[in-house]
Amino acid sequence: MKRIKMITVSRIGIVALLVVALASCKKEFLERNPIVGSTLDNYYKTESDAISAINATYATLQFELTPGGHFRWFWGDIMSDDSEKGGSGDNDQPLLAALENFQGPTNTEYLESEWAADYEGIYRANVVLEKVPGIAMNEQLKQRILGEAYFIRAWFFYNLVTIFGGVPLADHVLAPSEYNMPRATEEEVWALVESDLRAAADRLPLRSGYAAADLGRITKGAAQALLVKTLLWKKNWAEAKTIAEVIINSGEYTLVPEYKDIFTTAGENNAESIFEIQYMTESGGNWGYNSNNEGTFTNVFQRARGQFEGYGFNIPTQNFVDEFFKEGFEDPRLASTVFREGDQMGDRGIFTKEAVGGDAHDFYPKKFFNNKSEEASFGDPNPNGGTNDRVIRYADVLLMHAEASYHVGSEGAARQSLNQVRDRVKIAEVTVSGPALLEAIYHERRVELGLEGHRFFDLVRTGQAAAALGGLGYIDNIHRVMPIPQSQIQATNGALVQNPGY
Amino acid sequence: MKHKLSLLLLFVLGGIGTAVYGQIRITGKITEAGDPAGLLGATVVVKGTTTGTAAELDGTYTLSVPDENAILVFSYIGLKDQEILVGAQRVINVELQSDATLMEEVIVVGYGNQKRSNISGAVSTITSEEITELPILRAEQALQGRTAGVQVAQNSGSPGSALTVRVRGISTINDSSPLFIVDGIPVGGIDYLNPNDIESINVLKDAASAAIYGARGANGVVLITTRGGKKEQQGQVSYDAYYGVQDPWKHMNLLNAREYAILSNEASIAAGRVPRPEFANPDLLGEGTDWQEALFETAPIMSHQLSMTGGSDRSLFTFSGGYFKQDGIVGGNKSGFERYTARINSSHQVKKWLRFGSNLAFTALKRNGLPENNEFTTPLVRALNIDPITSVRKYDGTYAYSVYADTDIANPLNAIEQTHDTWSSNRMVGSAFAEIELAKGLTFKSTYSLDVTYAKQDLFFPKFDLSIDPDFGDAPAVEQSIVNTVVKNDFTWRNWQWENVLNYDHTFGTRHKVGVTLGTTALENRFIFLSGSNTNLPSNNVADAYLGNTIDPRTSQGAGDAISEASLLSYFGRVNYDLDDRYLFSLTVRADGSSRFGANNRYGYFPSVSAGWVISREDFWKNQDISFLKLRGSWGQNGNDKIGDYSFTTIVYAGQSYTFGPGEVITNGNAPLEASNPDLKWETSVQTNLGLDVELWDGKINFTADYYIKETRDMLSRVPIPLVVGVRSPFQNVGTMENRGLELSLQYRDKAGEFKYSLGGNITFGSTEVISLGKGGEPIVAGNVFSAGNVSRTEVGHPVAAFYGYVTDGIFQNTEEIAAHAFQNEGTAPGDIRFLDLNGDGIINEDDRTFIGDPTPDLVYGFTADVQYKGFDFNVFVQGSQGNDIYNGIFRYDFFYTNRPQSALNRWRGAGTSNSEPRVNLNDPNFNARASDRFVEDGSYIRIKNMQLGYSLPQSLLGKLKIQKLRVYVATQNLLTITKYSGLDPEIGTVGGSLELGIDQGFYPQARMFLSGVNLTF
Repeated sequence: MKRIKMITVSRIGIVALLVVALASCKKEFLERNPIVGSTLDNYYKTESDAISAINATYATLQFELTPGGHFRWFWGDIMSDDSEKGGSGDNDQPLLAALENFQGPTNTEYLESEWAADYEGIYRANVVLEKVPGIAMNEQLKQRILGEAYFIRAWFFYNLVTIFGGVPLADHVLAPSEYNMPRATEEEVWALVESDLRAAADRLPLRSGYAAADLGRITKGAAQALLVKTLLWKKNWAEAKTIAEVIINSGEYTLVPEYKDIFTTAGENNAESIFEIQYMTESGGNWGYNSNNEGTFTNVFQRARGQFEGYGFNIPTQNFVDEFFKEGFEDPRLASTVFREGDQMGDRGIFTKEAVGGDAHDFYPKKFFNNKSEEASFGDPNPNGGTNDRVIRYADVLLMHAEASYHVGSEGAARQSLNQVRDRVKIAEVTVSGPALLEAIYHERRVELGLEGHRFFDLVRTGQAAAALGGLGYIDNIHRVMPIPQSQIQATNGALVQNPGY
Repeated sequence: MKHKLSLLLLFVLGGIGTAVYGQIRITGKITEAGDPAGLLGATVVVKGTTTGTAAELDGTYTLSVPDENAILVFSYIGLKDQEILVGAQRVINVELQSDATLMEEVIVVGYGNQKRSNISGAVSTITSEEITELPILRAEQALQGRTAGVQVAQNSGSPGSALTVRVRGISTINDSSPLFIVDGIPVGGIDYLNPNDIESINVLKDAASAAIYGARGANGVVLITTRGGKKEQQGQVSYDAYYGVQDPWKHMNLLNAREYAILSNEASIAAGRVPRPEFANPDLLGEGTDWQEALFETAPIMSHQLSMTGGSDRSLFTFSGGYFKQDGIVGGNKSGFERYTARINSSHQVKKWLRFGSNLAFTALKRNGLPENNEFTTPLVRALNIDPITSVRKYDGTYAYSVYADTDIANPLNAIEQTHDTWSSNRMVGSAFAEIELAKGLTFKSTYSLDVTYAKQDLFFPKFDLSIDPDFGDAPAVEQSIVNTVVKNDFTWRNWQWENVLNYDHTFGTRHKVGVTLGTTALENRFIFLSGSNTNLPSNNVADAYLGNTIDPRTSQGAGDAISEASLLSYFGRVNYDLDDRYLFSLTVRADGSSRFGANNRYGYFPSVSAGWVISREDFWKNQDISFLKLRGSWGQNGNDKIGDYSFTTIVYAGQSYTFGPGEVITNGNAPLEASNPDLKWETSVQTNLGLDVELWDGKINFTADYYIKETRDMLSRVPIPLVVGVRSPFQNVGTMENRGLELSLQYRDKAGEFKYSLGGNITFGSTEVISLGKGGEPIVAGNVFSAGNVSRTEVGHPVAAFYGYVTDGIFQNTEEIAAHAFQNEGTAPGDIRFLDLNGDGIINEDDRTFIGDPTPDLVYGFTADVQYKGFDFNVFVQGSQGNDIYNGIFRYDFFYTNRPQSALNRWRGAGTSNSEPRVNLNDPNFNARASDRFVEDGSYIRIKNMQLGYSLPQSLLGKLKIQKLRVYVATQNLLTITKYSGLDPEIGTVGGSLELGIDQGFYPQARMFLSGVNLTF
């Protein structure tokens, strides 16, 4: 009897031991935080965190498919009289064609992805502006990082205000209660762009002040150049002229001797590069959400189809090509801007319609053409184009200076800057004055900066859009801005109000 | 060493021997009722001892028993045990009855066993006989069509590919896959199991049955028990093998070269282009290339399995080893699958009060993969879309490329040859338990289990160039690759679980049966991933495809890793109470703490109740025909914790990089990508079940019906937050979905003399409706078909992943009709499709889309028939689905020069020529290819899944050879399929999750198989 009891006790002892062991499982057993990577609460503590945070903000400059496509040349070129959608036919991105023809679908992924990418960039800049000031680190570096963040925030708001008009002014990381933020006025957005650019210019070093390894970072000159552009939109000619002259007199930038060299691989970040979005091949990128991708889709989208292995978008119009013959001779820049039949397309062969096959066009854009030998050596080459996006070149600053000077009556200064651009391509200097001079400046912008994503915005900014695009359906008071993405009006329960006319 | 080995052998086999002693000698013959032939190998044992023997060839036995009080237990597999008191008898002949009554089966439920007659929830069972009846390739297949309420879809006919198992349909917009528990161990999937090792599969369908699994039970629980030895079972050795061949059961009818050229010419002219000069005389082109003929091949399949099993009264064991190999009908070994399995299950009565056991399974599998259901890369899609003009090979024997078909349409045979994608995994699933009897009826069981998988994926992308002149590189981009790349991915999953369960069973008086279960579980999952890649290997041979073999180490290396953990800590309890075996009650509650839930919701509580009433056991029940009748009802709450490991927190992600410096250095950046939600919790499903079990004529007919309503609340969804926030929305518990269904199953078994037969069938009617998707209720669109856009839409008030698009309304026959209709496109011309202007605004645009199909079947069913006569057995299994639609996205209508089905020949060619098939035009200005009901087809099918004829050699012959059983059989799978679906196979699963179903973008079709096999036991 006693023995049996002993056994029972020992059995119960074993069980008790197990139960105690299990009960001693700590509360921490259920607390599992990510092992790789950090969480919002434990990041932004060191100098290297600050650098990573600003680098991630730069990464948004490269966003093109998030998830739909949006490219500077969609808005700047295809929407204008310089180029057409192209592609493999009417059914290839039909909604883009609808946008191009000002039929105004308000729910396209192009609009949505532009909106999304801009605000993702703004969010990351806001994170930097809120978190970095509290980090104990080198003060000079801290100011530079804040300057970079101010610029990038200004850049995205600049895109938003020129594409959509007044937008929600998310100048800080939004709390859940602020998610349905209504639109600010255009003036309020422009004011933020302006003040951010001034804050950036105050903090950023000159291009020459950066170490070589920092090539590609935003410079004081870039902030000033975008400020000049902003002031042109605001028709603040006098200050635009002054600041343009600060850039010109800084000695940081000169025109590249040969126009055709600007758009080659060797011409990336050249002497006249002021703001250039960096892309590279060999990043291993792939289709999809491309936040990890260092390449651009622009190369493949803009190459001809068939033998040239592209998708054939952004097709130059006859009207655009004609502009190059306006002065009675073929402007030498045409050959660097447009491929015509019989032209050599790099190492991919001679452009013939047979080689393009299916849906060949007369012209193809050239500035984002890349040779096959320059293709990514691994990964999918399609999203892996390496051509940098030359957003602001020194020639643009000179032409903006010319325009501003003209408007404040300094025609001599205007002609001087204009002719500096013309001298580079060895064509006759302009001597006209009055409205003809302004026309000459506009013409120069179109051919000098053709297919670089400026034209539509220049037309709107200078009040020429209705004249140039009316035939395509453009109506000034409606189409100067795109519709607000319909999905965003829904997502905010109507807190966002659609642009008039859409 | 040798000593140890013999010790081990002794340990394993020690309890099996039989001893014969005593005074009284009993003889007799053991037969099966209705069959005078003796049962070789039937056992007779003196109850409560190890004394026993097995019957001879003719069923006779001789046994000595100690005294007349001895009770003899006669048993034979598949027949009911019989106990007989020896008394004065000296010759005891017994007729064992067939174990026909399903209701007396003991089935496995969560943390215990119960007689089917006493269950008040909804549980479906599949027995090992049903599993072994058909040679199945994967364990999940055993569930297909076999049981009501369980839907199994083959994701692909590719050997070794995963199957989608859904218990009572899709009940969440997230992961709807059930919880798989094998021998008490939660396993992520059951692909590692050798189907032959399975003893039974029980599916807990209703909330009350699954509630004991709490936060993981919402999508049902599949409990699998593997074979163990049986007490007093004679040692048995079995060898089972089959070999077969597979071929495609269908080719699609496509245009031949002549027809292709004719249509191509017409399409060119319609688009204002000059037809291709080489197509000037289509008749000269003849048949051209049959790419399907070139692609498909006859492929072998084989399986070998050796198993040994046995048991004494103290130790039970089973061992099995298996080998399975299947090549694919596309690509042969390039989509081949190979599996080695080994298993040892054993348990020992160490002390009277202590039982110890372990289950150990090892699986090594290797699978070669080809792209599937991807309209860009699948060899099948390419074979169906590539033009019939292009030949497979050039004159020099190398693969040819097409100059007609567009960008993505590569030569499928070359694409297969250039694909090197091998997945190999080694998985060990093992557990050890100790069960202690604390007092009579009170046991404590502690089980520790480990499930470890080491897997790797070897990928190699060789250089190749189909150019005629490689210096010129004339082949299109998709037909040449200028660099080679090797990728190695390494995966480790390591899960452990420790479970402690206290069980108490007692009958108070004679009427009150009480069962109490209390338990705790702790488990941890850990996943580790490591990957590396490199390019520019000097050798283009896959045998040299290693990361180190590169000539260009600097720029081309890639590496990455990931790691994640999850843990679960749970407490559970259940009380069963049976009064007179007539009134059945069960109460369950489980508390689950999970690391996946947010800090504010760490623990979830899941209660359930169920009750049953066995009417036929009431005294007033006099009906002799209805031998069993039970009503069941249950209600309960379950959770779904498949919500991702760290969804509650905001991670600052690395890899948000940018390029700086003259050398284009990729420089890392870190940023948050989503907002956080500390309130995140499980999805809750609330389910009510009503059931009925009926048995007629002592088990000849069994009928079961279940009706359920299941509501899944707090579904996780990323409620779109305005993009102005700049990060993605966090997961929130917002949506609601409702499932309703009726499940019927019927089984009839009978025999007439030596003619035995059984018929069984089940039908499941189910419906799913999205009730809410949270604030704003934005529909979720998915299912991208490149030529048409997204075709799947999950919207409030509609079924999950319904097809969405335009509605066609015939063909415009003339320009007047176009003018009279709403504006479609500028280029719309006679011969184009007329789409309905649903909102009547005079313009056909996105607002005119509507729901055009539902990929979820109205009902799925399965029927089996078994017939046995003398040594012959015949089995047929038919399975099908009704009322589901398929979006046929096989053809690349976004391209001009791809091939088309024969139906394209019925194109519109002038007024009155066709009202369904539009004109051909290279540009398709009307966008006839847009997502519309034109591509939605009826996906219903009925399929003879399996048919088998076997013959078992008679005992008279086998006895001399000391063989218990020798059966040979021939079988066929997918012999006949009846469907209206025009694609290669109507049985298509999903690859993109629950929200894009039934879209055929080149599913690998199921093969038709012819097999012959042998079962040998001695």
